[in-house]
Amino acid sequence: MRTDDLIAQLSAGLEPVKGGAVARLLAGAVLLGIAGSALVLLVLIGPRHDLSGAMTHPGMWTKLAYTFAIAAFGLWLVERAGRPGADMTRPVMALALPLLAIALLAGLQMSAPDADRTGLIMGHSSRVCAALVTLTALPTLAATFWALRRLAPTRLTLAGAGAGLFAGAAGAFVYCFHCTEEAAPFIAIWYTLGIVVVTGLGALLGRSLLRW
Amino acid sequence: MIAQEAQYRDWMLAALAGDASAYRMLLAGLTRHLRSYYARRLDSGAAEDAVQETLIAIHARRATYDPHLPFTAWVYGIARYKLIDEYRRHKRRATVPLDEANELFSHDEAEEAIARRDVSKLLAKLPPAKRQLVADIKLDGLSVAEAAQRSGLSESAVKVTVHRAIKSLGEDVNRESQKRQGGDADR
Repeated sequence: MRTDDLIAQLSAGLEPVKGGAVARLLAGAVLLGIAGSALVLLVLIGPRHDLSGAMTHPGMWTKLAYTFAIAAFGLWLVERAGRPGADMTRPVMALALPLLAIALLAGLQMSAPDADRTGLIMGHSSRVCAALVTLTALPTLAATFWALRRLAPTRLTLAGAGAGLFAGAAGAFVYCFHCTEEAAPFIAIWYTLGIVVVTGLGALLGRSLLRW
Repeated sequence: MIAQEAQYRDWMLAALAGDASAYRMLLAGLTRHLRSYYARRLDSGAAEDAVQETLIAIHARRATYDPHLPFTAWVYGIARYKLIDEYRRHKRRATVPLDEANELFSHDEAEEAIARRDVSKLLAKLPPAKRQLVADIKLDGLSVAEAAQRSGLSESAVKVTVHRAIKSLGEDVNRESQKRQGGDADR
C-alpha cells in the first residue's frame, strides 16, 4: 500500500479517544490480578485463622503499609513504562522511601537490648515466604502483562521489571493475610526477596512477551 | 524544545478529540521525518515498510500519549522502538540513542532533497572531468587509487585536481553567501 493511502485510511476511520483510557485499562488489570492473587491465597495457601485479632497488631500494619507503598510506586512505574518517551526515574527513586523505612524499622528492632536477632530475621517461615509470595503474585503478574501489551512499552526489559515489581508487591500484600510473621527484619528480608524474584521474572519475560 | 513540538502537539490533541483533518496533517508531517529517519538507517524497501508500521503503531497506540509530556518525545519513542524491532528481526545488534528526539525532528526528506540539489548545482560549475573525480571521491566514496584507475590519471594528479576543485567550490560558496548578506543589508 502507498503511504499516502495508509494516511488517508487511518484518518478517515479516526475515533476520538476518551481521556483516562490508560488509567481505566490499568485499573481493570489491577482489580483482575489482585482478585486472582486473593483466590490463590484462599484456595492454595489459606488465610490465617486469627485474622480479626491480627488486624490490631502493629506488625500486620507494617507489612501492609510496606507492600502497599511498593505496589503503588510499582504501578506508577508500569504506567510510565507503557507510554513512549515518558521518564521513569521518579517512580524508581520513590522506591527508596519504603525501602529506607523498613530498613530503619528493622534496624531499630535489631538493636533493642533484649532482641532475639536470629528469631527476628528467620521467624518460623523464612524457608517458604519468598516462594509463597511469588506464587501469590503470579495472577497479578499475568494481568499486568496483559495490560502492558495493550499500551506501548518501548523498553521491554524495564517494563517487564516494573510489572514484576508491582505484581510482587501486590502478591506480598495479599500474602500478608496468610503470614503470621510480625518482625520488621523478617519482612525487610523475606518479603523483599519475594518481590525481587517476581521483579526478575518480569524482566526476563518482558523481552519476549511484551513485544508489539 | 523541538521546533515542531507546539504544532504537532496541537494537531495530536485535536486528533485525540476526533478531528480527522488535523490527524491527516499530523501523519503527513510525521511521515516526512520518519522517511528521512529510516532512510538513513535501513535499506530503502525496509525503510518505507518501517514508516508505515510506525504510522500504524502511532494510530493503534495513540491513547498512550500523555498530554502533559512532549509529543515529539512520544513519537521518537515509537520510531526508535520500531527501528530496534527491525534490527532485531535481521539479527543485527545496534545501539540506538534513548533521549534524542532531535534525531527524528531535525531532518526531513524535503531538506535532504534541497541539500542534494544544492550539491549537484554546485558540481555543475566544474568542468566535466573534474566533476567526475569530485563525485567519485567525495560523494561515492571511491579511494584515490580507484578514481585514478577509472580516470586514467596518476594518483597524485587526482589528489591535486580534487583539492583544487574543492577549494574553488568553497570560494564560490563564500562569495555567494557574502553577496546574499550584502543583499539583506540593503533591504
